[in-house]
Amino acid sequence: MNDLEVLLPHVKKDSKLDSKSQLHLLPELADLHNCNNTLYLEARRHEDLYMWAAKTPNGPSIKLHVQNIHTMDELKMTGNCLKGSRGIVSFDKGFDESEWGRLTKEVFTHIFGVPLSARRAKPFIDHILSFSILDNKIWFRNFQIVEKDPLQPNGPPQTSLIEIGPRFVLTPIRIFEGAFNGATVYSNPEFITPTAVRSAHRREKGDKYKMRKEDQAERNERREARRREEDELAVHKVFA
Amino acid sequence: MKRLMDALGEDGIDDFGRMQLEALAGGEEGSEDEDESEEEGETEGAGAGEEGEESGEESGEDEEEEGDDDEKEDDEEVDQDDKTQAEVALDDAESVDEDAVPRQKVVVDNKIALDRILDTIKLDPKIPWTETLVVTYPETIDVDVEDDLTRELAFYKQALHSANAARKLADQHKLPFTRPSDYFAEMVKSDSHMERIRQRLLDEGAAIKKSEDKRKEREGKKFGKQVQLEKLRERERSKKEMEDRLKGLKRKRKDGVDFPDAHDDDAFDVAVEEAVEGRPSKKSKNGAKISRTKRDAKFGFGGKGRRSKQNTKQSTEQFNYGSRKGTGGKAGKAKRPGKGRRMALRK
Repeated sequence: MNDLEVLLPHVKKDSKLDSKSQLHLLPELADLHNCNNTLYLEARRHEDLYMWAAKTPNGPSIKLHVQNIHTMDELKMTGNCLKGSRGIVSFDKGFDESEWGRLTKEVFTHIFGVPLSARRAKPFIDHILSFSILDNKIWFRNFQIVEKDPLQPNGPPQTSLIEIGPRFVLTPIRIFEGAFNGATVYSNPEFITPTAVRSAHRREKGDKYKMRKEDQAERNERREARRREEDELAVHKVFA
Repeated sequence: MKRLMDALGEDGIDDFGRMQLEALAGGEEGSEDEDESEEEGETEGAGAGEEGEESGEESGEDEEEEGDDDEKEDDEEVDQDDKTQAEVALDDAESVDEDAVPRQKVVVDNKIALDRILDTIKLDPKIPWTETLVVTYPETIDVDVEDDLTRELAFYKQALHSANAARKLADQHKLPFTRPSDYFAEMVKSDSHMERIRQRLLDEGAAIKKSEDKRKEREGKKFGKQVQLEKLRERERSKKEMEDRLKGLKRKRKDGVDFPDAHDDDAFDVAVEEAVEGRPSKKSKNGAKISRTKRDAKFGFGGKGRRSKQNTKQSTEQFNYGSRKGTGGKAGKAKRPGKGRRMALRK
């Protein structure tokens, strides 16, 4: 997730946080670095990634589940942009239709919008970060803005976009009132933890096995019950 | 309630707080109504006393589930302020009341609190657009999630619309937008990475072309019979043409019998060859012979004679072998490559 750091010139990166349970350290860390926004990426069980987007020190904080990550290293995304140029932040209308959407939009505006006076920012705009709500999830894309048509370099400027990456999907889980603590003010009813999904999957598999075994047992029972006792005229008796 | 008091007692809460909590919890057990949560929160806040600004949040607590998050919070904040303790009190009271009720996921969507938080963190609407560069797309994206192509197209459309809108806004605010072509700086992706991307694109193109060629060949096989026929016809036609040419030559030859010098065989052969080859020979007939020296150079002449390699009186008296061997070797021309290599080159 270095990609995010590369894209945001006003970011200060901190080393790994040792313990996942002591989230209250984070606001202090942010305070040490004079930051008022925090993105904290939390990996669990080597397969699930959660992202906390928080305003420190007073909150709110949003906990999101990150899925479908494609990093910039993948060769399919052919765009490129200046390191440290300020990106446009684009939201679709879905954010304005719910309270949590509006709040998320505001927090993301603070975090992903590069301020004009950021020290490492470059003075031109050549990429766009787009957030869209679809299926109650937030889809993130990053495009390069190309103003010229490569086919006719002297023609009128024609804006087109090339994807730079990264891309990922965020599922909001909860919104807390404080920074990394406080009361829950929103929880996503549709969110199912990936662990639950996995365990359900495993259970389903186990169910299948159990069913098969039960069937087998039943069949054997039936076979036993229907077996006829030895006949007087069995072949090996008649032709002894 | 007793349990709660015990738990709190360990933490060393003062008597005043205990009294308050008791009063609070009592009131809470009496009215477990979820609808009037907001007002209730207010009164609680007032009862708890000092924290005026936190009064609104209490409303969320009574509908809160007793999940992991709460446990964590409890662990973390147990020593902090009255507010947290009040929260614990409420939760405990709830759990006592609804002992038999199976635990289920309670959805929290506290819109009032969300709005209030939004108000507190909202940026000043007066700051210029250039500070945030936020653009909102006026449409909701409503496509099939599983359909990758249309979904990505929708995202692309959103980004494109936003880019154009941002461009207009940038022009309004006199913010430089396009990077001039002579502005070079570090890019997000390194040059080597971009080279790899380019290589991959090329490879992909090559693969597509290859498969297309293969497909064409396969299709060509279907028409193989027709092709074979075509070839046969072509061969026949060329044979016929050749015969025609020879016939023409014979006719010419018949005409040429009258000439006295037409009897030499070489001339005839050349003419036949020309006719077969379908092209006139390069040699000009009336051209002069090449000179003696040129001919010698080209074909060689009789040779120097047997004795040219024998010692003479002069050479016997010369003793300068060294110069021939030592320095002469290097200046000599390039060695002719071996036979195998020459054959390989020819192919």
